[in-house]
Amino acid sequence: MALTLNINGSSTKVEADGDTPLLWVLRDQLGLTGTKYSCGIGVCGSCLVLLDGTPTKACQITAAACVGQPITTIEGLAQQTDHPLLKTWLALQVPQCGYCQSGQIIMAYALLSKNSKPSADEIDAAMSQVLCRCGSYPRIRQAIHQAAGLINAKDTIA
Amino acid sequence: MKPFDSARRDFLKCSALSASSALLLGIAWSGEIVAAKDASPSFQPNAWLKIDSQGEVTLYIAESEMGQGTHTALAMLIAEELEVDWQHVRVEHAPLDPVYGFQGTGGSRSVRKSWKPLREAGAVARQMLLTAGSEQMKVPIKSCRALQSRVIHTPSSNSVSYAELVVRAAELPTAKDVPLKKPEEYRLIGTDLTRLDLADKLNGKVRFAIDTQLPGMFYATIAQCPVFGGTLKHFNGAEIKQRPGIIDCFEIEEGVVVVGNNTWQAFQARKALQIEWDEGTTAQLSSDNILRRLKAESSEKSHLLLQRGEPIVQLESALKPITTEYRLPFQAHMTPEPMNCTVQVASGKYIIWAPTQSPTSAMSHAVKALKSRIPQASEKELEARIEIKTPLLGGGFGRRIMQDYVTQAVKIAHRLKRTVQLVWPREEDVQHDYYHPLIEHHLRGRLDSTGNPLVWHHQITGLESSKYGADSLPYDIPHVRVEMLKLESPVPTGPWRSVSNHYNAYAIEHFFDELALAGGQNPLELRLKLLTEPRLKVVLQTAAEAVSWHQQDQQRILGCAVHSSFGSHVAEVVELIRLDEHNLRLGKVTCVVDCGIAINPDTIKAQLEGSVIYALSAALKPPIRLKNGRIEQHNFHDYPILRFRETPPIEIIIINSQLDPGGIGEPGVPPLAPALANALLAAHGKPVSDFPMRLNGAA
Repeated sequence: MALTLNINGSSTKVEADGDTPLLWVLRDQLGLTGTKYSCGIGVCGSCLVLLDGTPTKACQITAAACVGQPITTIEGLAQQTDHPLLKTWLALQVPQCGYCQSGQIIMAYALLSKNSKPSADEIDAAMSQVLCRCGSYPRIRQAIHQAAGLINAKDTIA
Repeated sequence: MKPFDSARRDFLKCSALSASSALLLGIAWSGEIVAAKDASPSFQPNAWLKIDSQGEVTLYIAESEMGQGTHTALAMLIAEELEVDWQHVRVEHAPLDPVYGFQGTGGSRSVRKSWKPLREAGAVARQMLLTAGSEQMKVPIKSCRALQSRVIHTPSSNSVSYAELVVRAAELPTAKDVPLKKPEEYRLIGTDLTRLDLADKLNGKVRFAIDTQLPGMFYATIAQCPVFGGTLKHFNGAEIKQRPGIIDCFEIEEGVVVVGNNTWQAFQARKALQIEWDEGTTAQLSSDNILRRLKAESSEKSHLLLQRGEPIVQLESALKPITTEYRLPFQAHMTPEPMNCTVQVASGKYIIWAPTQSPTSAMSHAVKALKSRIPQASEKELEARIEIKTPLLGGGFGRRIMQDYVTQAVKIAHRLKRTVQLVWPREEDVQHDYYHPLIEHHLRGRLDSTGNPLVWHHQITGLESSKYGADSLPYDIPHVRVEMLKLESPVPTGPWRSVSNHYNAYAIEHFFDELALAGGQNPLELRLKLLTEPRLKVVLQTAAEAVSWHQQDQQRILGCAVHSSFGSHVAEVVELIRLDEHNLRLGKVTCVVDCGIAINPDTIKAQLEGSVIYALSAALKPPIRLKNGRIEQHNFHDYPILRFRETPPIEIIIINSQLDPGGIGEPGVPPLAPALANALLAAHGKPVSDFPMRLNGAA
């Protein structure tokens, strides 16, 4: 079926079976390979995108169900090159192999967008939904704390 | 495995070539990869580096980057001696070429094997640039120095950039006998330079092998027999081919292949496959009976790994020897990027994007796969038709030393005569790994009258087990015997981060604590007394001070372990916090490493943090289990890894050293499980015989 998706601010037409997960439309049809396949069952979080601002596992939702809602992938999010998260993520050298990092960054971004002063428990709850086999967790924690600090410092000045 | 040291020999061979012929060679090895896109002049004195007339520096690194930071660390070695401006350094994965020797990344060897040759490669180029610069400025070379991509005439401070010298330098004979810098002169080595591969890992631009997309590409997947060694009897191929978007469905030696217009259609069709397998004899084997059954059938004898004193006599005369048994289960690698491989077929050529730890091995497997289809072609002829491209890897951990996905993709592409990408679903990856082997340890010991270990007898029984980590007991114990029985495994096993060091260090370090406690001794103090490797003593002492070892009580319980592997020495201390009578939680993990000179300390810390977490997953989470010849687990839900909230605080301490570098990707793994088991032993008074370990519930 023909679908019109709103991806990273642009309207995009695709042809996909009704049951095709958003993940494969993004990757195989649109070449947005920053969204990763790793488990395919909604357990690992590597395929996270923002669906109308909410972190959503792209392997668990059909593309058809996303029609009418803005989709942000890592490629779209990363256009905000001066976002504190991207800065602290690089400064703390968070990624190792990097495969899960799109999902990690999407989740951390959604967390801080909703709540710029997350508690340790809130960070745990959000970030425990994304797996990292290399073990970048300690640095993710630090990067979120530091990014929250930068966001709040900016808010204080403003 | 071929000797990794051949890179050094080949480097010397290459650096003996004249600069101009090396430049020609450079274009010959690599076609479009290494040759400049335009024909602008460049200086390329050896296989490892090129400086163009814009001053851009390209370094060719022959090791696979799987997150361990090797591209950056090795670039630092060249750049240190080359004296280039780091801002203008970029790395490309070197093409597959004999000049680099055997291209395989494993055994935490990259920095160790490159330490001298790569610095020499940079130094040779620097010397030639100095010569060119001094000639251009018409000043004596002795009054010149190189810094930040410039040759500087020290007395006048006049300078000329490397970019302006590439033509002249390329005409010079290769410099010989160039001295390397002294450690106090290092500008890059020892600093936390930002990794060169990171920026594109934050914005979705990084292209792993699975992200390869080519015009007209088909998407394939595979179903392999769930029982190891089983064979195909029948499958519903005709029916599968009728499914929308499915192009083909056929058999190869490894299983049933489905080819579709996209990954999803291929995956769905794979699920709809109805396959009848002949499961064969492995179907009778399970984790619970495999060692017993194989041992009964095997005529293999134990190999003696270590013997001193009279251990058997001493044990027989003991009133009550201390005995124990530990069992380590199968474990999977779970690389985040599943197994995949893309093959472009054009005019009889095969270009292969392989997420491999060994391009050399990928080539030999691709040749073998093609040879099985084109038997009349010579291997040399086939090799000339194949190019291996090695993108960044989404995790490795030893899994990608194996090349099964390359073999399969080549066979599929050859049959289709089309560009095709093979992707395994995660379930296929979990059930067709090359697993950490299943191992059983039997240990017996005896104490002397003062409570010191007198006898140590260690018997290892396992599937495809290896002696490393067991063949040199690091303690001064008078009577020792270590022996190993290797059973041929019908279940594929292979290198799993730190390989046999993981399961052998577990036995040594946990039994050491059993003996220490039996003798009424503090396990830390006894280690410091009996360790024979001074560097292990230093890391352990440092760890003990960092954790305030003697501040332990019912609420704060510590366990320690040490292990030397891959040229590095590590001590780890695990802290357990008591919640109530039966429940504990992980406190902090402290890890001290002596890895010789630290090339990039921040990367070393990252590798050790990752190693601790990797080892914690194996220690605390349900293992891989064999049941009726097949693996019971499927995906991250039933073979889970540690999650964010379960990760304890981890402190890494690096011992300051100027000794040659040791490995760093793996040595942090082996001490973790025994340190945790030793903390549990201290808490409950009982050894941990089986994985996973439990922090909660009565022991």
